Amino acid sequence: MTHTNGAVSGLRVGIDVGGTFTDLMALDAATGTLHRVKVSSTPRAPEEGVLNALRAFRETAGEPIGLVAHSSTIATNALLGQVHLELPRVAFVTTEGFRDVVEIGRQNRAEVYNLFVKRPAPLALREDRLVVRERIDADGSVLVELDPESVAAAVETLRERGITTIAVGLLNAYIEDAHERMVVDAIRAAIPEAEVSASSEIDRQYREYERFSTTIVNAALVPIVRTYLERLARGVRESGIEAPLFVMQSNGGMAAIDAAAERPATLIESGPASGVIGAAYLGRAMGIRNVLSFDMGGTTAKAGTIADGEPEIASEFEAAGATHSGRSIKGSGYPVRFPFVDLAEVSAGGGTIAWLDAAGALRVGPVSAGADPGPACYGKGDRPTVTDANVVLGRLNQKALLGGAFPIDAARSHAAVASVASVVGGDVERAAAGIVALVDAEMAKVLRIVSIERGYDPREFTLMAFGGGGPLHACAVASDLAMRTIIVPRHPGLFSAYGLLAADVRATFVRSIVARADEAAFANAERLFTALAEEGRTALAAQGVGEGETAFVRELDLRYAGQSFELTLPAAPTLAQNVAAFHAKHEQRYGYAAHHDPVEIVTVRVVAVGTTRKPPLVPAELAAPESSAAAKIGARNAYDGTQFVTTDVYDRDKLVPGAAFDGPAIVEQYDSATYVAPGWRAHVDRFTNLVLERAS
Amino acid sequence: MIATLDPITAEIIGSALVYASEEMGIAVRNASYSPNIKERLDHSCALFDRGGRLIAQAEHIPVHLGSLPWGLGRIIETIAAAGEAMRPGDMWVANDPYISGTHLNDVTVVRPIFHAGTLIGYAANKAHHTDVGGSVPGSMPPDARELFQEGLIVPPMRLMRNDEVVAETVVLFRANSRTPESRSGDLRAQIAGNTIGERRVLELVERYGVQTYEAATDKALHDSEVRMRAALRTFPDGEVRVEDVLEDASGEPSIHLRLLLTKRGDEVTLDYAGTNAQLPLPLNGVYGVTLSAVYYALRAVTDATIPMNDGVFRPVHVEVPLGTILNPRRPAAVSGGNVETSQRNADLVLAALAALAPDRVPAQSGGSMHNVMLGGVDGDGNPWAFYETNGCGQGGRPNADGIDAIQAHMTNTLNTPIEAIERTFPLRVTRYEFAEGTAGDGRFRGGSGLVRAMQLRSGQATIALLAERHTVRPRGSVGGAAGGVGRHHLVTDGVSRELPAKTTLPFTPGETLVVQTAGGGGYGNPDDRDDAARERDARDGIRLAPFA
Repeated sequence: MTHTNGAVSGLRVGIDVGGTFTDLMALDAATGTLHRVKVSSTPRAPEEGVLNALRAFRETAGEPIGLVAHSSTIATNALLGQVHLELPRVAFVTTEGFRDVVEIGRQNRAEVYNLFVKRPAPLALREDRLVVRERIDADGSVLVELDPESVAAAVETLRERGITTIAVGLLNAYIEDAHERMVVDAIRAAIPEAEVSASSEIDRQYREYERFSTTIVNAALVPIVRTYLERLARGVRESGIEAPLFVMQSNGGMAAIDAAAERPATLIESGPASGVIGAAYLGRAMGIRNVLSFDMGGTTAKAGTIADGEPEIASEFEAAGATHSGRSIKGSGYPVRFPFVDLAEVSAGGGTIAWLDAAGALRVGPVSAGADPGPACYGKGDRPTVTDANVVLGRLNQKALLGGAFPIDAARSHAAVASVASVVGGDVERAAAGIVALVDAEMAKVLRIVSIERGYDPREFTLMAFGGGGPLHACAVASDLAMRTIIVPRHPGLFSAYGLLAADVRATFVRSIVARADEAAFANAERLFTALAEEGRTALAAQGVGEGETAFVRELDLRYAGQSFELTLPAAPTLAQNVAAFHAKHEQRYGYAAHHDPVEIVTVRVVAVGTTRKPPLVPAELAAPESSAAAKIGARNAYDGTQFVTTDVYDRDKLVPGAAFDGPAIVEQYDSATYVAPGWRAHVDRFTNLVLERAS
Repeated sequence: MIATLDPITAEIIGSALVYASEEMGIAVRNASYSPNIKERLDHSCALFDRGGRLIAQAEHIPVHLGSLPWGLGRIIETIAAAGEAMRPGDMWVANDPYISGTHLNDVTVVRPIFHAGTLIGYAANKAHHTDVGGSVPGSMPPDARELFQEGLIVPPMRLMRNDEVVAETVVLFRANSRTPESRSGDLRAQIAGNTIGERRVLELVERYGVQTYEAATDKALHDSEVRMRAALRTFPDGEVRVEDVLEDASGEPSIHLRLLLTKRGDEVTLDYAGTNAQLPLPLNGVYGVTLSAVYYALRAVTDATIPMNDGVFRPVHVEVPLGTILNPRRPAAVSGGNVETSQRNADLVLAALAALAPDRVPAQSGGSMHNVMLGGVDGDGNPWAFYETNGCGQGGRPNADGIDAIQAHMTNTLNTPIEAIERTFPLRVTRYEFAEGTAGDGRFRGGSGLVRAMQLRSGQATIALLAERHTVRPRGSVGGAAGGVGRHHLVTDGVSRELPAKTTLPFTPGETLVVQTAGGGGYGNPDDRDDAARERDARDGIRLAPFA
């Protein structure tokens, strides 16, 4: 079975399920043609949106489909408590004396000054947190043998209560899993229909709360995600598509649907990850190794780092958690220790609302008008949003959006912005400029977080702007960080679907070591690398990846002894090289290295990669720069940062490779609009990207 | 100045300064060694204008909220009084509580920021160093009678001169600590934090010019003041007298804190006349810590989204007689003032605010940080030290139950994972769960405290415990019942004996220390509690505190 190989023979299709729209993109390997479809999402049964998109696509494109990849928000939505996606009753079996570990968490509260702060509701209620008598010591030896009677009692309770979604997590099981396996076997024997997740299988790393949490989140999601994926697979087969189905994971790699159903917690950040993968792929194809991705949608803006061609991956996040100024708030969600594409996110989107505080100062966000009622110009709401400000400033079309398909009411935008204009003496246009300036400053923060705070100089990076709003604000945020080049992909509003065309199959395998970095520990790490790679090989084969398409990335997490944060590094052949690389990375990230301090190896990780062949980008002939004149569809008064000036408007669909023009200018297209600020020059490259470069 | 200032530019500068203070905090955390900073975020970072007024402070730990700006003022005064001045390229360090504003563990580092040769402000941060000497590991001896037993006292000294680290100063910290490597690492981290803060301020000054920058910071202070006044106006006017207690070394609730809170219009005055005289115990809290608890309570009940700066507390007046436990004279011992007295003071201020607006303030939380300090040598003769605070039951809220086993009020530190403790220290954790019978009953019940038990595996060690609410129960509110008290036990050869709330004793292999923390009081009449909520508690095995 070599599905991924077979994929190249047909079209590769990517489908991104968003809150409002389900986007499909497909790339014809032979011709380089990009197909795109946008249909409404169907939140109650998201697979219908996917199937609708596939149906619509096949009406226009006749070629056979070789591979279908999709990103899904179903896991996130279930954790956020969306109706129709109620989580099942979950039981958690743990070591006697420790049943509240998963509810206590790390003891901190998510908001220090909020007396009404909430702790995330436990996914397994205290009543359903059962204990067994046993204890493994920190060195893996057995302190207290597993008491069979306590196991039998727990199993009996599960059966009486009819609970079939079960997580098992025992102390120190990351180092010795014998007791966990015995408990799991006992449950499976007595309750054959049970779905059991064991902590030593799901997340074999130390720190009990995070391991137990990951295991419980995974267990809780299994029934919903499996049902969804099975319905989706059935629908796809019934529509006559035989191609293999993959799902995007938080780590930016795909999983075959059977594997994804076993590890649904790997899918939580599925959607945002694919945009970054698209940015990395497009960047590599253009020969650009350092990219900051900037994805601005209706409610949030997200930024990610691609350094030397590789997206930055973090090993832990909090699912269904909150953020503050782009940083995740510890204790606001459920820790999940599956790798994810490390994004900083801020409440700043087209629907973000502007308001006046008690001191009369203008503020923007974090509240969003969302898709309903949406910006005032949509005709329902009357509060001013970022989109309304852009309409007032003339940067967005004042008659209709979506390439003319969605009429808007610019007068409503004007009235809405007027409601906060007292801050600038009633000047509506200045107020609109203020709203845009404030949201730009907010978004620049997340780009700082993913560059400066990670030890990177943003001036050495290219900004990849996408999402419906990214291209509209890109020049402002790039200028704030002194970045000189911006790439706006051909279809920025469907870029998450595009990223699905570029993803590989990935599966991650980890073990904790937690030992002084000496030769013995390194030898142990090397043994584990071999064992984990073997697990990876088996897992990839089960997902249809052929032997010749596999690669294994070996990583070590290291720290100075006494620290409690680790840095992840690609493993080098010798211990000395690894330690030297750690010092260097510590220096880059934190500004110093402590060469005389002892180093610890904490975690050994193998990322198994099933390389899929991506449809190549086909370079086009370049036309003359002046060919842009043919794409000019008009001009309107738009704000250039200091005043309103007559600004040329171009039709993106008519701009051909080679076409060039200077800002200020506006480029309109179906799924987005680009604002080219004064001092920037735009041209269309060989791959039909719009490239903006700062002149001075 | 303000008249010509573009309000949008002002907003952008104000928000950039808040972000810069947060970025300082990340830099300190990333580079630090002490688990207290790295894992527990026991540090704070702030920026000040040329007059030493706070212009932005990252929200890390409430106990530094008022003490950091208060401490900066004292440090500047002390340096001036000595005929010295902060010069370009300097960084100054201090931990003298009577100057820098908390306890000896909290080391403050200050960078004066110069632009074109003129002082334009300060970047400063304060971080909890795990050990600064004194009679026990962790530098918070429960039996200290004066400051000198608590560790190294450093008045303002240069940590950098001409942008070079002053080696003698670092050596002084190292020589006085049980963990010298961490001292160098933490000081380096604090330097890194201030460097970031300075760089961000200078970037703003270069982009917008000094005049605009300073007009914007003035406006930020003004706006915060206006918003705070608006928030205070939403409370009814009134005069409220409240009182609460701390427990002395023998457990008697003999230490009284008294407050007269007067709220009129958009101002509030807090008068602590009648509060206990300072004591030969580590429960004295310097004035900066007293301010922190006041600011915490007011921020929590008003509007925590108001940007934190000097303007916020202009409408707040705090009067504390000198020589009392809330404003002691040197050299009273102060290590527990931060962790215990500040909690009680927060309870006190919240109680006064509850009298004005009972629907906006929860019942009392567990009211102690339940400090546990363990240290000694392991079986192989290697020294070790471990410090943690423990969460408690949160008080029942006007709209919801209190949260079980969580850090309340003046702290928000993270616990250390059991599997990390067992790998690093000769300790084994034998129990960690909600404490039964500690949640106060009410329409919305209080949270349960927690039980954490640890056994010594090898070597020899010392236990130092510093806790409160072992005698007096956390109060309920609006008819709710009190929460249950905390307890300490030591189990030796299967025999359990109770230990005092504040004590130091030897720890022998095989013995188990059991720490139980207090629960939260209930809110509202228990008769009004929803049947479904009672049913849920019964099924979950949550037992309430005995009704008293």
